[in-house]
Amino acid sequence: MKRDDKPAVPARRIFLRDISRGAACAGAAAGAAGLLAAASADSGKSGTGSAESFPTPDYDWNKHRWAYAVDATKCIGCLRCVEACKRENNVALDAHHFRTWVERYVYIDGEEKPHVDSMSDPLNIEASGSEKLYRFANRYKDAKVDKAFFVPKLCNHCTHPACVQVCPTGATYKTRDGVVLIDHKYCIGCQYCVQACPYGARFFNHAKGVTDKCTWCYHRITKGLLPACVEVCPVEARMFGDLNDRDSVVSRFIRDNRVQVLKPETGNAPNVYYIGLDKEVT
Amino acid sequence: MPKHIARLVLLIVAFGVAGLAAKAFFTTDSFYRFGHYRADSVPEIAALTPVFQTPRACRSCHAPRVVEWSASSHKSVTCEACHGAAPGHPQSLQATIPTDTVRLCTQCHEKMPGRPLSSIRQVDSSEHHATATQCIACHNPHAPKIEAMAQKPAFDRKAVAASAAVCAGCHGENGVATNEAWPNLAGQNAAYIARSLGSFKIGARKDATMAPMAESVADDDVPKLAAYFSSLSCHAPAGKRAGNAAAGGKLAIQCSVCHGDNGRPVNTSWPSLVGQNSAYLASALTAFKDGQRTDPFMSPVARALSDSDIADLASHFAGLGCGATSN
Repeated sequence: MKRDDKPAVPARRIFLRDISRGAACAGAAAGAAGLLAAASADSGKSGTGSAESFPTPDYDWNKHRWAYAVDATKCIGCLRCVEACKRENNVALDAHHFRTWVERYVYIDGEEKPHVDSMSDPLNIEASGSEKLYRFANRYKDAKVDKAFFVPKLCNHCTHPACVQVCPTGATYKTRDGVVLIDHKYCIGCQYCVQACPYGARFFNHAKGVTDKCTWCYHRITKGLLPACVEVCPVEARMFGDLNDRDSVVSRFIRDNRVQVLKPETGNAPNVYYIGLDKEVT
Repeated sequence: MPKHIARLVLLIVAFGVAGLAAKAFFTTDSFYRFGHYRADSVPEIAALTPVFQTPRACRSCHAPRVVEWSASSHKSVTCEACHGAAPGHPQSLQATIPTDTVRLCTQCHEKMPGRPLSSIRQVDSSEHHATATQCIACHNPHAPKIEAMAQKPAFDRKAVAASAAVCAGCHGENGVATNEAWPNLAGQNAAYIARSLGSFKIGARKDATMAPMAESVADDDVPKLAAYFSSLSCHAPAGKRAGNAAAGGKLAIQCSVCHGDNGRPVNTSWPSLVGQNSAYLASALTAFKDGQRTDPFMSPVARALSDSDIADLASHFAGLGCGATSN
């Protein structure tokens, strides 16, 4: 190739120069506009943000710190809570997706490990007659049972939730009143959070293509109602209340009992407090 | 600075500014308001409509039932634990009256390893009163303890007798009706009188004469009036009986499951049939048969009866008089 064939300034450089100038101008203009917009939005909020209550006019999330308590020594395994949760939160009526569930631990004489079953067990599905209704089969009626008990479980609404940390889109988050929620509009259904939760509290909602889990019935507690599972529990094994209120049922429960949480070693700092668990319950 | 480095720096700055601008443009306003999430999603979730109401909601219409329930050992079991959530009730008529009470009650009360005896009374359903087909044959679900059913509220007899004078116009001063087509109240189960009066009050039972009468009775007076009439002594009806009492006696076997062998039910929420007018019994059965009165248990039973069956049954039960006094 002859040197003379080349122009003094290559066309490539001219192209790049023009492009970069154009981009710089457009970028600066858009950036300035964006910053201005952001600044005006911020100033707009700071003017009213401190006075109005959030998230609803009647409920200020800065005034509450919710917690949940379970007295497993009282639970009778009637599963009213499970059915109520399904209906309250429109969860798929099958025996495999639950926002809250109950496990049965049965220690039989002469055996090391407990038998653990829950609503998805085929015998229990058979006893209920349908996957839409839930019932524990009386399967250990004639066995020599050393010890047996029921353990209600649900999302622990951890203080340091692993599920929130792994969410790539900010679709799951911790509210100021202590509830871990899912923004179904921003959830992309990647299910990292399902993997991250040490408690198996999250499941995939196949109909909507998003992750789902217990919200402590956020739509109820912000209206002064109890979560549906607490509302229907006939033996008061499930309790819900505000840690900011020293006289709330949960504050008193934690003060009056030696409570424990599930899997404290994971560092998630769960907010569901139990009594009456056993060494095999995690 | 060499020219090509300057160009590169300019390019990087331009891309950075373009990126930030794009982010500012595409990110929802509320996204960073409180943190790395969309703040608007919180009020969206909080705005969902609760499905489960509370017993407070039931109380506004079903006051007599709620009062009975809230004093019973079942008071920790909310209405919707058994009747189901009732969004849109009463317009949607979706609240359910459980028909299979054995299945429902054993959900909590079946004896089972792991179910703490300190929490709840438990029975082995295969042994516990194996002849009764339904739990409610003996137990009132709103006040399930048998011994508690016999208790009646304390009342000032004179004061209640004064307000009962309005009832006496039709049901008689002694609780014996002035017309055979109307029910005798003397000796009737108090819980049943209270329930009937409450049903007329809220319009669940309809009657041109009774409805306005019941409306004028205060909520607190319902159990007192019921206890008053229940305490009056039963009178055997003297009226003529159209049907064949002997044939009715054979048919009455199916009635005895709930109403007891001698017309006096164990569960005092169900009506006692002794000391009742033949004409009234026949008209009540006919009302269930025609659908003018509805009841999840009585309606199917009555529909299966012919007109002559109804006359026979009415004759049989009226013929029992006040029957054996004890049950």
